[in-house]
Amino acid sequence: MAKESMMTGCRAAAEGAKAAEVEVICSYPIRPYTAIMMELAKMVADGELNAEFIHGEGEHAQVSVVLGASAAGARAYTGSSGVGVTYAMELYSPMAGGRYPVQMTIADRTLDPPGDFGSEHTDAMSTRDQGWLLGWACSPQEVYDNTLMSYRIGEDHRVMLPQMVCQDGYFISHIPDKVILGEMSQVKEFLPPYRPIHPLSLTNPVSHGPQIRPDQGAPMDAMRAQTFLAIPKVIEEATADFARIFGRKYDPFVEQYKLADAEIAFFIMGAHSNTARAAVDRLRKEGVKVGMARLRWVRPWPTHQLAEALGHVKAVGVVETSTSYGGAMRGGNLVHELRASLYDLDTRPLVTSFMGGLGGETIWPADFNYMAGILSGMVKEKRTDRYVYWLGM
Amino acid sequence: MAKALPSYGTIVVPEDRVVPFGAVTPAPVGTQKLFQTSNWRVVRPIRDEEKCTKCLQCYLACPDACWIYKADGETLEWVGDFCKGCQVCIQACPEDGALVAVPELDFEGGVVRLEKPF
Repeated sequence: MAKESMMTGCRAAAEGAKAAEVEVICSYPIRPYTAIMMELAKMVADGELNAEFIHGEGEHAQVSVVLGASAAGARAYTGSSGVGVTYAMELYSPMAGGRYPVQMTIADRTLDPPGDFGSEHTDAMSTRDQGWLLGWACSPQEVYDNTLMSYRIGEDHRVMLPQMVCQDGYFISHIPDKVILGEMSQVKEFLPPYRPIHPLSLTNPVSHGPQIRPDQGAPMDAMRAQTFLAIPKVIEEATADFARIFGRKYDPFVEQYKLADAEIAFFIMGAHSNTARAAVDRLRKEGVKVGMARLRWVRPWPTHQLAEALGHVKAVGVVETSTSYGGAMRGGNLVHELRASLYDLDTRPLVTSFMGGLGGETIWPADFNYMAGILSGMVKEKRTDRYVYWLGM
Repeated sequence: MAKALPSYGTIVVPEDRVVPFGAVTPAPVGTQKLFQTSNWRVVRPIRDEEKCTKCLQCYLACPDACWIYKADGETLEWVGDFCKGCQVCIQACPEDGALVAVPELDFEGGVVRLEKPF
């Protein structure tokens, strides 16, 4: 029986990559994700992991290296944080367009405004429309689990897309928590070897990344969009299979915490959901009918599942940990897509949003109490007074 | 129960427009026929056999390898499928009038006359 040990999210990500027996790793330092590469470098040096470990000259090089490795047929792994994620921006679309199922692990860090290094989701959220799978963990255990699940989903021949496996910097990446690592027999049963479709080959030469004509661009885009219609089923299958083999059960798309009879709810993703859960428990003791919906995948966005999970609630507060300056609600990103997901319901919840956890700030239990107060007020007044509240401002 | 929510619909890519998965193709030998990229050409270079000295400046200058030189018969062949009409070869040609830009409209099969790209 696998035993529980204490480890950080960084260590858990590295353990996930090791269990997946990644073959090519490309690193470049930027905190807080650096510790993942530090752990992997040790594993390779100690002979625990047989992988080619390449140090790139920057994040653009990192993602280029793993693109080539994936094209050659290797299971490839890289990662970054903050402005490192955005420095590699050019590569994200060709990676998805060329259908290379590499994995990029992200320990979120705020983008430079200038030089802050705290956690914030804006780094990976900036890549959300590049055609990658994009999901968030809320514990080191989930980081390990998502690493394996994302490889399985991304490498499925119905999908063949790169994946970003995100965790909040520091809150998850650097605070140790209990993690149960899988047995190799479990991992082997869950995650088959990577089977590239048209790898680069000396005996069967192929051409990758050609110039296509403008009239071929639209069908290529449509084919990628088609793939995203097929992904939810693959996610459901993989999540169910994961529960069967490893015994840990996740809702494929949205964790629903005490939502069944909730009148108000927090909609959140990542580390701060742990505080949200505790705040829900405390508020319930005071008689507030509150629940929480935690998003596990931003891409593909689970439109119908969210409508199902939150449709009956009277007011929803989106807890944002990313910025969308000048966006429709003048706050973060999640609120736009949540409001759009609820729009077609006969009766829909009132929705507002709260900007919190920016630049590495903690969202405190008292903040959740404050948010619950606003949401209860909205229910009472039967109207949304403001699109967005900046916590503490 | 509330009314059904809209669906994502289905996306049907017409068979004749399907692009190879990830745009990966068998490696071309000589010429890639699957992704011909010359349909935005408005002029093409026309070579005057009399004035051409076979100095091969055009062959060296072309960014898309659209001039093919065959040493045995000393022939120069133009590859219309990939020439974008950039005229770099014409600029590089040292012989007055050996290479000139002629509008695509002047040719019956000129790419600007095509209803569909290829």
